[in-house]
Amino acid sequence: METSTPKAHEIEQGEVVEISALAPRFEEHAFPWRQIAGYAASLLLTLGALLLVERRLLPAAWLAPVILALAAVQAGLQLGLFMHLRESLGATWHVLTLALAIVVALGIVILSIWIMAFKSGVS
Amino acid sequence: MAHLLALFFPPSVLRPAELATDAGILLGGAAIVAWLTWRRRWAWLWREWITTVDHKKIGIMYLLFAIVGLMRGGVDALMIRTQLAMPNNTFLGAEHYNEVFTTHGTTMVFFMAMPFIFALFNIAIPLMIGARDVAFPKLNAISFWLFAFAFLLFNMSFLVGGSPNAGWTAYAPLTELHFNPGVGENYYLIALQITGIGTIATGVNFLVTILRLRAKGMTLMKMPLFAWSALITSSLVIFAFPALTIALALTMLDRLFGSTFFTIAHGGMPMMYVNLFWIWGHPEVYILVVPAFGIFSEVVATFSRKRLFGYTAMVGSLIAISLLSYGVWVHHFFTMGAGAAVNAFFGISTMLIAIPTGVKVFNWILTMWGGRIRMTVAMLWQLAFIPTFVIGGATGVMLAVVPGDYQFHNSYFLIAHFHNVLIGGVVFGLFSGLYYWWPKMFGWMLNERQGKWAFWFFLIGFWVTFFPQYLLGLKGMTRRIYVYPPGLGWSTLNLVSTIGAFAMGAGFIILVYSILYSWRHRQPDLTGDPWDGRTLEWSLPSPAPEYNFAVLPRADARDAWWEMKRSGSCGKVSAVAVGPIEMPRRSAVPFLLGLSFFVAGFGAVFSFWTIALFGMAGVIALLLSGWFDEHDHHEIPAEEIRRSQAALGRFES
Repeated sequence: METSTPKAHEIEQGEVVEISALAPRFEEHAFPWRQIAGYAASLLLTLGALLLVERRLLPAAWLAPVILALAAVQAGLQLGLFMHLRESLGATWHVLTLALAIVVALGIVILSIWIMAFKSGVS
Repeated sequence: MAHLLALFFPPSVLRPAELATDAGILLGGAAIVAWLTWRRRWAWLWREWITTVDHKKIGIMYLLFAIVGLMRGGVDALMIRTQLAMPNNTFLGAEHYNEVFTTHGTTMVFFMAMPFIFALFNIAIPLMIGARDVAFPKLNAISFWLFAFAFLLFNMSFLVGGSPNAGWTAYAPLTELHFNPGVGENYYLIALQITGIGTIATGVNFLVTILRLRAKGMTLMKMPLFAWSALITSSLVIFAFPALTIALALTMLDRLFGSTFFTIAHGGMPMMYVNLFWIWGHPEVYILVVPAFGIFSEVVATFSRKRLFGYTAMVGSLIAISLLSYGVWVHHFFTMGAGAAVNAFFGISTMLIAIPTGVKVFNWILTMWGGRIRMTVAMLWQLAFIPTFVIGGATGVMLAVVPGDYQFHNSYFLIAHFHNVLIGGVVFGLFSGLYYWWPKMFGWMLNERQGKWAFWFFLIGFWVTFFPQYLLGLKGMTRRIYVYPPGLGWSTLNLVSTIGAFAMGAGFIILVYSILYSWRHRQPDLTGDPWDGRTLEWSLPSPAPEYNFAVLPRADARDAWWEMKRSGSCGKVSAVAVGPIEMPRRSAVPFLLGLSFFVAGFGAVFSFWTIALFGMAGVIALLLSGWFDEHDHHEIPAEEIRRSQAALGRFES
């Protein structure tokens, strides 16, 4: 993987990048095979989840954990391939924003499950 | 053919009100086309506005749409109030009433408040932080055109095909195809999806702009508070809007492709829609009100001639509000009956938000304390905001008390509460910002005397409208009923409320008249700093030139411009320091992208899949053409900048 530093004409005149982690970095490839493979893999993972549910290929107890695992794999794949996670040197900002994202995402999922368990209370 | 006619023009779009609007739009449209042709303005319109990527012009276009949205939402509101003015009224039928309150809410949130906020972000933020544009100017234009075409698509619904009618929250099962045939809800789902893409892009854009393009020396803790509020709003947008995207997409799949996510009969879970909607919906109210907090923080400091009291506490409370806002959404549906533990958790988290908000209120008051206050229109809105918002907040805490909420829920008490905070907080803030930044946008002032008339009509009208609604709620009147019998003790209060609504309408008309009057009798702002301002945008001429800053400023202190004025370096630049400036080039792609989304959306609304695919093909082609466009920048030579700065009298002598 080639990583080139930004060329002079690519930075606006007078612009000062205070946080080095946010300096623009460009990953250059002849052809984005990696991204296309990642896109195809994402489609396959989604299709897999759909088939598992539609064809009832697994016992009910296994279904939710398995498709959640597929979702986690896909999220990791997309973060790595499309969200430039591997390209930066500054870990601080990534850790901070990722931590916030994980807290919010887990919060939404866990609290939603808790909230939606209401059926047992009223039925 | 007959089938198509019936699809496009069902009876609900052939009522007199709708036909009159059709005629008005056709006449108005013809007049605009005639004027553009007569004055030969088509090329000008295309070059200067439609293809622009300049944040200042995009801001003005957002503002124009927001005012049109305010008019449309306002007319809906007056229709609602007219119907409710008297018991057993027959002004609107049940179906018509459902449509009108649905479009009222949707328009006010998505097509009035959101574009108004983005208008002020676009106009003020880059100037305030000392930047030449936003981080991604073309993406900014794309956001705008997606919003504009979504606005068009949504507002087409009541003329072609029928309005959505399931409330602005569009709860399942009211939106399920089985209970709600017709295309109205499709318009809602698809128009909001399109504008939502633009909104998320705007969130990303302003987050990056504020983190990356600040002037030298402007650390985060030296930023103006409006920039802080824009940063917080952007992060709220990025985290909250995906939940709405999912809720709308699942409902769309249910309606258009026969899935059953929310259909009880097939094991679906309608309350899951409500849950997803409010995971977005509660942060959304902070997306609306946090920018208003930022505006007030600028206005109060400027017109009290004092630096903002408790800056650090203000920033801290903004961050606290933004984090807490993700953990309160169940308070919109306590009555679902999720159980004591869930409701207690979300009731307490809701009450916690009152603490940082209270901190802000005290800081605004203490900023005024001992200051030299000038009673401009912008400041009047600020002064009206504080008591109004405090009362709205207090009734909000009442609603957060779960057993109380079981009584208040979906009554007019709730209606009064959220209008109290959304008008008293958001709309007052936007009007304040409108008066404050207007000279910076256009280079001339708004008439203050007329502005005060508009203010008093609107403020008094507001209280006359909404205070009776608290009482109506306590007397048991529930929301979304279109007719009520006499003898319940509701009649007088409803009539008073309607009178207030028309006073607010009068305030709006005075405002629009005042804008037109001030435009005809222009009182130019020659200094660029009409309010004796404190932040960097006031160091520029009004309106700012395309490149904003001839030489990028340094901001070593909070209230950077105020400090510069104190030290005597008053915004003049040295001619030697001016170099060539690289600026983004105008582009037709954003407009065409919006148009393609419109075509795709229209096709999807009516399930004309060929048209929808045609539109999506346009979207993909335009995205590809944008990615491989190497010539998206142009350079303004130093000589030209020197000439324009000299003409503005901006060089050191």
